[in-house]
Amino acid sequence: MTKTKTAKNNPPQTGLRKVGLRRYMKKYWPLYAMMVLPVIYFIVFKYLPMFGNILAFRRYRPGMSPWGEEWAGLRYFKLFMRDPMFWSAFKNTLVLSLLNLLVNFFLPILFAILLNEVRAKRFKKFVQTISYMPRFISTVVVITILGELLSPSSGLVNLFLKNAFGIEPIYFMNEPGWFRIIYILTDSWQFTGWTAIIYLAAITGISSDLFEAAEIDGAGRLQQIMYVTIPSIMPTIMVMLIMNVGRMLTLGFEKVLLMYTPNNASVSDILDTLVYRTGLANQNYSYATAIGLFTGVIGVILVTGANALSRKVTGESVY
Amino acid sequence: MTRRYKTWQNRLFDGIIYLVMVLVLLICLVPFIYMLAISFSSTSAIVNNEVFLWPVGFTAESYKQIFEYPKFFHAYGNTFFYTIVGTAISLVMTILFAYPLSKPELFGQKFLMKMVIFSMYFSGGLIPNYLLVSSLHITGTRLAMLLPFAINQFNLIIMINFFRSLPKELEEAALIDGLGYFGILRRIVVPLSTAAIATVGLYYAVFFWNDWFNSLIYLNTDQFPVMLFLRNIVNGTTMVGDGAGSADKTTIALSIKSAVIIVSTVPIIVLYPFLQKYFVKGMTVGAVKG
Repeated sequence: MTKTKTAKNNPPQTGLRKVGLRRYMKKYWPLYAMMVLPVIYFIVFKYLPMFGNILAFRRYRPGMSPWGEEWAGLRYFKLFMRDPMFWSAFKNTLVLSLLNLLVNFFLPILFAILLNEVRAKRFKKFVQTISYMPRFISTVVVITILGELLSPSSGLVNLFLKNAFGIEPIYFMNEPGWFRIIYILTDSWQFTGWTAIIYLAAITGISSDLFEAAEIDGAGRLQQIMYVTIPSIMPTIMVMLIMNVGRMLTLGFEKVLLMYTPNNASVSDILDTLVYRTGLANQNYSYATAIGLFTGVIGVILVTGANALSRKVTGESVY
Repeated sequence: MTRRYKTWQNRLFDGIIYLVMVLVLLICLVPFIYMLAISFSSTSAIVNNEVFLWPVGFTAESYKQIFEYPKFFHAYGNTFFYTIVGTAISLVMTILFAYPLSKPELFGQKFLMKMVIFSMYFSGGLIPNYLLVSSLHITGTRLAMLLPFAINQFNLIIMINFFRSLPKELEEAALIDGLGYFGILRRIVVPLSTAAIATVGLYYAVFFWNDWFNSLIYLNTDQFPVMLFLRNIVNGTTMVGDGAGSADKTTIALSIKSAVIIVSTVPIIVLYPFLQKYFVKGMTVGAVKG
């Protein structure tokens, strides 16, 4: 978080300890009144479910308390650790998120750098506006359109492949081999333009003196990108990398659920869909909560780990 | 600056850049234009795969069909309801929390900020959330779509950072003039924060507009929004128009699907370019450093 020194530099008559409770509240009560509903909201809808994770250690009976009925210890953890389905989902999650990170972390950086090189202002703005569009489209729509484009009987892609190369129709949405590629490419399609906003803002912030100096020294545009643009936005890149690594396990669960078919289950069953299937579809609440908690804890370790590493290596950290 | 255009390397470089950008434009637009073309094309043209980026045998039949289908109309109405009411609730709650949290001198502010940040990184998973909503007895009511998502922490932080960037002097002057904090929030802070409010409002609206999963697990069939309706057509759970009895089910379904896609996507797509100048600013103020 940003360190705020204003509290120390302000006139001293405002702090609670300086003026006493009565005078303090006389001035500040409206601010506390504003927060009442939001704080209740946070307690009920963010913190109660957090404590609800306790269900992972307790036995649940349908219709009874959401906190469970009796302690079950590590029973559910031991259960899922022995479940080959869990390990398959675990592997699928790791592979998919690593591949996704590899492609979709760099693509927005590349796009931002290239877009910045466009000299025609109007055209640049137009490309940018259009590149945001996919971000606003629902996953359901994306997957439906994709289903049509890739359809083996009437899809544009298969028609093209057949007419141009004589390739037999490919069942893109059904074949396990295509699942990861399609997942990653739709992510690129949806979020590249959007994520690039942050990098473009960072590039805009670079002083033009640096580019002019580089040009005088004889640097071409490619060299300017290599030696001015990229080093200047490195701090932003690092912060984004931390955030991405921290969020790694939270894949687009809804998209995977929409793309899931019994045929591609061997690669498309990730931890989140496993939680959904065992928990909501089969009502093994405690079992599913245990898997969810496991994923959540790994997520926290990832964020704090990436953050600590980045602070050590580059001096940049999110908090 | 003009000097740099003279070399052939620069011309080549520019050429490649423009080529890439045109490619990006095509990739972003083609799927959407294809759907638009299909939705306005005649069934025979679709069957014979004649349609690419321009309608063949122009007809608005599929639009007529979906709007005559009561379930679609109902779902479309539901989506508007969740989007408008949900965004309004979320904005009010977010502003009410963000304003006090933007004051570091406030006693307890640091603790509450920690509480907010912590809940971004560790949360109750799917099951605890589901059981909570069930035990509040709001499953199967429209509240289940509105209340649980009232505040998004990311949006809250954008708003807090924006409020912090506002000049303090105005507020101090208003305090001296005897205006309370509620008055300051309503008459000074909110009017000065259109950029942040537009950004965050757009994020909330897009969330409510596009949601289908939460509706699926929390709501009854007649409360489903249009995205869930679309997913059910694709799944084959719902049949529209005379597709059910027709000889070529898939093709009629295709033009219907395309029409549903267009109708359910256009409102958000026409909205965002107007808000673009705000969200670029809001995003860079709010997101770079949480």
